[in-house]
Amino acid sequence: MEGGVRVVIAGLDLGLDDRGRYRIDGESEVKFRRCRAGLSALSCPDVIEADRLSKTFVVHKKEPGLRGSLKALFRRERIEKHAVREASFRVDEGEIVGLVGANGAGKTTLVKMLAGIIHPTGGEARVLGFRPWERENRLRRQIALIMGQKAQLWWDLPAADSFLLLREIYRISDAQYRETLDYLSGILNVKEQLQIQVRRLSLGERMKMELIAALLHSPRVVYLDEPTIGLDLTAQRAIRDFLLQYRERHRPAMILTSHYMEDIERLCRRIIILREGEIVFDGSLEKVVETYADHKVVTVQLAKTAPPVGDAPELRALGEVDVCGDGVIKLRVSRGRVADVAGELLRRYPVADLAIEEADVGTIIEKILREREGPP
Amino acid sequence: MTFWQVMTIEARKRMSYRADFWLGAILGLGAQIGICIFLALAIFRESGSERIGEYTVRGMVLYYVVVQLVAKIVRSTEMEMGVSQDIYEGGLTRYLLYPTSYGLFKYAQQLGALAPSLIQVLLLGAWVPFVFAGEAEVTLASAVMCLAAIAVANVLYFLLGTVIQLVASWADNVWSLMVANRIAAALFGGFMIPLSLFPPWARAILAWTPFPYLFAFPLDALFGRLSPADWARGMGLALGWCGGVAILGKILWRRGMIQYTGVGI
Repeated sequence: MEGGVRVVIAGLDLGLDDRGRYRIDGESEVKFRRCRAGLSALSCPDVIEADRLSKTFVVHKKEPGLRGSLKALFRRERIEKHAVREASFRVDEGEIVGLVGANGAGKTTLVKMLAGIIHPTGGEARVLGFRPWERENRLRRQIALIMGQKAQLWWDLPAADSFLLLREIYRISDAQYRETLDYLSGILNVKEQLQIQVRRLSLGERMKMELIAALLHSPRVVYLDEPTIGLDLTAQRAIRDFLLQYRERHRPAMILTSHYMEDIERLCRRIIILREGEIVFDGSLEKVVETYADHKVVTVQLAKTAPPVGDAPELRALGEVDVCGDGVIKLRVSRGRVADVAGELLRRYPVADLAIEEADVGTIIEKILREREGPP
Repeated sequence: MTFWQVMTIEARKRMSYRADFWLGAILGLGAQIGICIFLALAIFRESGSERIGEYTVRGMVLYYVVVQLVAKIVRSTEMEMGVSQDIYEGGLTRYLLYPTSYGLFKYAQQLGALAPSLIQVLLLGAWVPFVFAGEAEVTLASAVMCLAAIAVANVLYFLLGTVIQLVASWADNVWSLMVANRIAAALFGGFMIPLSLFPPWARAILAWTPFPYLFAFPLDALFGRLSPADWARGMGLALGWCGGVAILGKILWRRGMIQYTGVGI
C-alpha cells in the first residue's frame, strides 16, 4: 500500500486513499459492512439507509365504456397497489448499487422515495441523516436524480443557460462551477454542444447534458433511473465509462436502475432484486450467480479433424445439451460435476478448445424474477 | 439572485419567439382592444343615451382599452404556467429536487414571461394619451398608485390561479375550476363591465372579495378616483388577500405533496 496508511481491523486490511477515505476491496467491503457496528470510531457512514420502507398507491378503477364512465361520476372503485413492501437496505459512500426488477416491480418508486419526491406510506429512510421527503435544502444540495425517461433541462434553452441557472439554485461558486463544468463537459465530450438548444441535440448528447446538470453541484448521493434507455451502444458505453470515472473521483453513493444488464454488470458490484415490490435478493453479483445458478456452461470446440458428433445419449448423461453441431458442444453442467465432465469430454473427444463459464447473469435474474418463491 | 436568474432566463426564452411576439401583440392584444371599442360603441348606439352610468362613449372606450392593457400585465401567462400540468405530467419532480421554493420559482418564471407582454402593452398603449386627451386626468401620483396596484394584482392573480391548480393533487382535471376563476375574475373584477355599473350593495360585497383588486382597483387609481386613504385601504385588503391565499396555498401544497406520485408507479 504505497503512500497510504495500513490499517488492519478484525482481520481486514484497510487503507487510506489520498483523500483520507478508507479503501477496501469488494470482498472486504461486504465483511466490513457486517462488522461495522463494532467499529463506530471509524468513518464508515451509511449514506442511504432504508428500513422497512413501503409505498402503497391508491388508484381508481373505471369500467370501460360509456356505462363505466357514467357510473364513475357517482362512485369509483378504489384499489390499493403495494408498489414497495418493507424494503430495508443500506448504501455506503462510493458504492454503486443496481436496482433490478421487472416493469412495475417498484424500482422507480423506491428511488423517488429516497430522492424525496414522494412520501412513503410506511417505514423509515435516512439519506445523509435526513428524511428525504421532508425536503430539507441541506439535503437537496447534496443529492441528484437523473431520469432517462424524463428530461430535467429546459427544452428551449441551450444547456449552458440551464447550467447557469443551476449554479444559482445550488449556490455554486464561480471557480467550482467553471472547474466542474469544464471537467464534466470535457470527459463527456460535449463542449461544442453547450450553446445549442437542448431540443436540437441528439438523444445521447441530451443525456450527457442531463448528467452534467445533475452533477454540477457535486452531489454526495446520485440516483440514476435508467440513464442509458434508448441510447445506441456507443452512447451507452460512453455513459457507463463516465459514471465509473465519476465514481472514482467523487465517491458518491449511487443507486442505479436499468433494464440493460450490461449497465448493471459494468457498474455495480452489488445488486438489489425487486419482485412485486419486495426485495428478494441483496448482495454481490457473484453471490447471485452462486446462489441461483446451479450450473455452469461448458463449451467445447472440437478439432477440425473430428468426426461429427450427434446428440448422443452419453452426451446427455453429462449435462443438459444446449448446442451440439458444427464442431461445437455446449453443455449446462451442475456445479459439482464441472471438473468431472470437463475431464470426460477431453477424454472422449478430440478437443481443440474448452471453456467453462458462469451462467449469464441476465438469464439468472430473469429466472429469479419469474419465480414466485424464494431461492432454492 | 436565483429569482432574478429564473426571471431573466424566462424573459430571454419568451423574447426569442419573434412570431409569437408579433402575433400576440397584433392578433391577441390588438384584436381584443378592437373588439372592446366596437362593442362599447355598439352599446351606446343601440341604447341611444349619451351616458351609461358615469361613462360617456369616449370614457367607456377608454376604460375598455386601459383595462385590456392592465389585464395583459396582471394576468401575464396564467393558463400556460401549468402548476396543474406539472402535477399531472410529473414536471414537478425537477422542482422538488431543487433547494428552492417551487412557488417563488414559478412566480419568477411568470414575471419573466411578462417581458414580451410589457413591450406589447407599451407599443399598443403609447397612442392612448393622445387619442383620449382630456378624457381622464392622470397625474404622476395616480400613475405610481396604479403601478403599485398592478404589481399587487399580479401577485394576487398568480396566487389565486396557483391555489386552484394545486387542487390537481386530488382532482383528475382542474380545467373547469380554472375557467370558473377566470370568469369570476373578469366579471367581478371589472374586466367585463366597470364595477361602478353594479348596484351599490353588490359593490359593497365585492369590496371584501379579492376580485375588484385585480383590474378595477388599478384603473380607479390611475384615473384619480381614489383618495390616498382609499388607495391605502384597498392595497391593505389586496395584500391581506395575498397573504390569505398564500397560506391556503401552503396548506394545499403540503397535503398535495403527500399525494404526489411523480407520474407512474
